[in-house]
Amino acid sequence: MSQDIRNLVKQYYPNFPIRYCGKIYHDTTEFMNIGYGDIICVNGLHYMVLRDEVERRFGIEDPKFWVKRCKHLETGERKIVKLVFYEKFRMKLGEVEILCHRSPGKESRILDLVRGDMRFMQGVSYYDEKNNNVRVLDLIRGKSLDIVIHNIEEDHETYFRKHFPEILEKFIGACEAIGFMHSHGEKHGDIRRDHIWVESGTQKYRWIDFDYSFDFYENPFALDLFGLGGILAFITGKGDCTVGYLLERGFMKEDLAGLTEDDFSIVFHHRLVNLRKIYPYIPEKLNNILLHFSRGTDVFYDTVDEILGDLKPCLDFLDS
Amino acid sequence: MDPKKILIAVDASENSLRAVEYTGDMLGGGEGFHIELLTIERFPDRDLFETEEVWKTECKKHQAAYLNFMAKARKILCDKGISEKQIFSRYIESCKSPLKSPPLICSMGTNIAHEIMGIIESERFGTVVIGRRGVSKEVEFLFGSVSTKIVHYSKGCAVWIVN
Repeated sequence: MSQDIRNLVKQYYPNFPIRYCGKIYHDTTEFMNIGYGDIICVNGLHYMVLRDEVERRFGIEDPKFWVKRCKHLETGERKIVKLVFYEKFRMKLGEVEILCHRSPGKESRILDLVRGDMRFMQGVSYYDEKNNNVRVLDLIRGKSLDIVIHNIEEDHETYFRKHFPEILEKFIGACEAIGFMHSHGEKHGDIRRDHIWVESGTQKYRWIDFDYSFDFYENPFALDLFGLGGILAFITGKGDCTVGYLLERGFMKEDLAGLTEDDFSIVFHHRLVNLRKIYPYIPEKLNNILLHFSRGTDVFYDTVDEILGDLKPCLDFLDS
Repeated sequence: MDPKKILIAVDASENSLRAVEYTGDMLGGGEGFHIELLTIERFPDRDLFETEEVWKTECKKHQAAYLNFMAKARKILCDKGISEKQIFSRYIESCKSPLKSPPLICSMGTNIAHEIMGIIESERFGTVVIGRRGVSKEVEFLFGSVSTKIVHYSKGCAVWIVN
């Protein structure tokens, strides 16, 4: 352990046990080696690593070794530091496989684009001494949208009448934020309900994680639109309305007997999107939007504006 | 609109090859046609590559494939009995090309179908020919389809979709 790191920790983080102090990294290429007690130094600033970030999906924890939860020594603020990881992987959406890439450059560009716009996570990009991109992100205190919805312990109708109007209004704001990105030629790339973070206190919806990219054909924004449709179905149904989920919630098999293939998602064939068939108080106009994401549709949305043009008037048809 | 003014929208794919061959089979030996091969350059996204150099190399490969295809398409049409003087070629470069500064007229690449329809309407093409990838509804939904959009939105011209 060098004297430098001891001095830094003594000055800025005196409570930190010196025996756990590691190394100072000016080169982040080998991000797997950077762990608890190490300090990442970029642009003359020091970030002490507290742990690797973990993504929790479907009850499984997936460590992200290139994303470090840190303490900024000079200010004491908690930060997320994202290092370069050029990952390529195949993402499966229903039966369709999509080749995805992680692009630090894309995320940096979007961070610059959305600076000061609190509909998005905020952060700055630096370069280490080996010219590796290092993104330093502000921590958003709160919960992901799916957890927020999941935590509402009420039956669907009560949820829909009492909570949904406000959720929809905020979701419309989140759609507008994606429209802003698209109007600047950028795509989010990984629109999921756990990539909307609901900030504690303000309750604002904020988009996170912009580093996914993928090859495309005719419509570069279509995957983002599909993601928005998926979230809309989720917030409208108060969960993914699979047959199993509905049976768990008290529906009888005969209640679901009238459902056809066309009522389910065009991509995720087990998720019901024609939700009015089981929740008849869902306004038809709102349900019609969901049907654009069903197997039965022949008309797809091309732009966020098209979705918003249909979605905004739905607010008038909801109790609030 | 002049039905004998025909636009064949091609990339360097097998589907485009079928569209060219079909057009040749239909019109071979005929006279009085204006047959224009149109390629709109579209490069892979910069974000998919770690460095500018790797991206440029890939773009050069794409460009070479497009230009080779256009030459091949022209030959196919000639071999099928369409005289040289009736065949025209147009190559629209990408506005985002890393290979050189974009010309005044270039493609943004975000809506190729719209760009093709703009040319059809402004230059009064009476027929447009395009190959179809033959993808599933899911894939079409997730990625869009040039041929489907042209079928849905084109007005005042015949559309030949070659499967």
